Amino acid sequence: MLIAAVAMFDSRAAFNPSAGTSPGDVGARWYPFWAATIMGIAALVVAYRSLAIPQTAAGVFEGRKSIFAVLKLALPMVVYALLIGGIGWRTTDFTYTVIPPFGFYLATALYMGVFAWWLGRYKIWWVALISVAFPLVIFAAFEIGFRVSLPKSFLYTSGILPF
Amino acid sequence: MEVLGDLAGGFATALHPINLAMLFIAVVLGLVIGVLPGLGGTSGVAILLPITVFIAHGSLPGSDTTTAIIFLAGIYWGALFGGVITSILFNIPGEPWAVVLLFDGFPLAKHLHKPGLALASSFVSSFLGALTSTILFTFFALPIALKALDFGPAELFAVFVLSFATLIGLGAEAPMKSLAMLALGLLLAAVGFDTITGEQRLNFGQIPLLSGISFVPVTIGLFGIGEILASAEEQGIGYVEKISARLGLGDVFEAIRELRKRLRLVLSNAIIGFFFGVLPGHGATAASFLGYGLARQYSSNKENFGKGEISGIMGPQSAADSAGVASLVPMITLGIPGSPTSAVIMAGLFIWGLQPGPVLFIQHPDFVWGLIASIYLGHLLTFIICLLAVPLLAMIMRVPYAIITPFIVVISIIGSYSLNNSMLDVFITVIFGVIGYWLRKMKYPLAPLVVALVLGDSTERELRKALIAGHGSPLYFFNSGLSTVLILVALVLVLIPLVRTIRRRRAAAAAAGSPAHP
Repeated sequence: MLIAAVAMFDSRAAFNPSAGTSPGDVGARWYPFWAATIMGIAALVVAYRSLAIPQTAAGVFEGRKSIFAVLKLALPMVVYALLIGGIGWRTTDFTYTVIPPFGFYLATALYMGVFAWWLGRYKIWWVALISVAFPLVIFAAFEIGFRVSLPKSFLYTSGILPF
Repeated sequence: MEVLGDLAGGFATALHPINLAMLFIAVVLGLVIGVLPGLGGTSGVAILLPITVFIAHGSLPGSDTTTAIIFLAGIYWGALFGGVITSILFNIPGEPWAVVLLFDGFPLAKHLHKPGLALASSFVSSFLGALTSTILFTFFALPIALKALDFGPAELFAVFVLSFATLIGLGAEAPMKSLAMLALGLLLAAVGFDTITGEQRLNFGQIPLLSGISFVPVTIGLFGIGEILASAEEQGIGYVEKISARLGLGDVFEAIRELRKRLRLVLSNAIIGFFFGVLPGHGATAASFLGYGLARQYSSNKENFGKGEISGIMGPQSAADSAGVASLVPMITLGIPGSPTSAVIMAGLFIWGLQPGPVLFIQHPDFVWGLIASIYLGHLLTFIICLLAVPLLAMIMRVPYAIITPFIVVISIIGSYSLNNSMLDVFITVIFGVIGYWLRKMKYPLAPLVVALVLGDSTERELRKALIAGHGSPLYFFNSGLSTVLILVALVLVLIPLVRTIRRRRAAAAAAGSPAHP
């Protein structure tokens, strides 16, 4: 468990003290440098302690089940965030698209639907209802009520859907 | 009594229909957030923060920044009350500050079959605690703010240092972990343009990072998403024990009778909670444990604790609510948040274009006094709603996990996107959600990180202003008596845990010395 903490900290500490000009001069880099130094020292102490004190064999997670429970939630979330914006890159004369931007509303419909179907094990018409109703309510509340513009889908740009 | 006149003006503002309506909505939302175990008060406030921007800028008829602060603070009041409902009825704490209620609240409800009395005692003591604290708030805020107006950069920096030191010295977690989190927060705050020279730093050549890492997506990630991930792990372990939630008028009267017997305990805990809440970084959770300890310490029948003793409900509840209110005092008067939740509310003030701190009292008195008046109203509203709607609130627990969890994620993502219309912020939220989960797992305290993140820029600015004024000499900080004292106190606070560790080592060494130890 604490080896992981050490690894986390080492990478972070190595990442930080990127810019240090001489500490006497009050320049732009002075302050972040010392903040990073303090953090590095604190991290080293934590790391030293965690290595010096013998560990119990038990891991961070209480069994495999809990890892899966977390992953089940974390992975769809990442996919969801990627779907909203789409994946692609642009060069000077071409736009490459791996996943077209689904926009906020379509991605939400998919995301909530998958959850209800996969984790909730609802009947298919409940799944359909959930994945249609939630985005519509959000559309009404934000786009119309608060006048907040959320990311639109590739179908919006071609004029098929209002979102 | 100038204060009473100001307060009356504040009530006039707070009783404005739109403000009252938003307060009502906020309190109900806060109660719902409080009841949901996967979502805490800080997360709730962070997730809804972006919405307040639209409220503050007048998206609703007649709304302004005062409406926004009333809304945001109202969520906090609701959550302070709501967290205990699930503790008492289901043996599941809805909020960190409701954990203490498991010791006596649940036994009273289950084994002694008095759920109504347990709930009512918790509500009346919360209300009394919050009321005491708000009265103290009303009379203390202005003098503190007026004193703070004379502060120069040296004093301000000393105050910041002191608040960081309390986070390290008095924190519940390992001090080195607090220190690391604090420095990380300062570091994240430093990304982007330098506040004084305008130089770029720590952006690794990335243009989007130039504007800095904004506070809101980070907090939504750390708290909202992080908490959801952490609670996902407990799914399947949790087994809900249900007790029917009925709360009759008789229960309320009985609770008031019980309260009268314990008036001294409740009031003194409220006052202690107030001063505890004013200290940065603690807020309601630590105060509730302190309140429980005190209630037990001074009780004549200690053996009843843990079996459903009413003092074990009233003591911590009054301290927790009092501390929750008090954590807004340093935020409003000095610009230093007293708890993670008030750090988030303070970030709201920045976003709406207000500068928290003493100047607020002079430039926007209606804002400050409207907020103070709304604290009175908010608690009264919460109290009434709680008495009337406990069965409804208990029903929220039945909303299935597969719907509520993705919904919270969706709302979090709307929040982080809509503030700057930026997909980068969405990814920051997701990334910090995973980091937040991991930090929780590793038992790193999040409060220092959030407080340092919100105070980072001002701390650096004051430090460098002071250094420029003193021509680079650190002795400048010891020119004024106040800043000297503050820095010395800060040093002592940081040294407390060190001394404690050394003493413990000595004791351990002495104990290990006598028997042969390989």
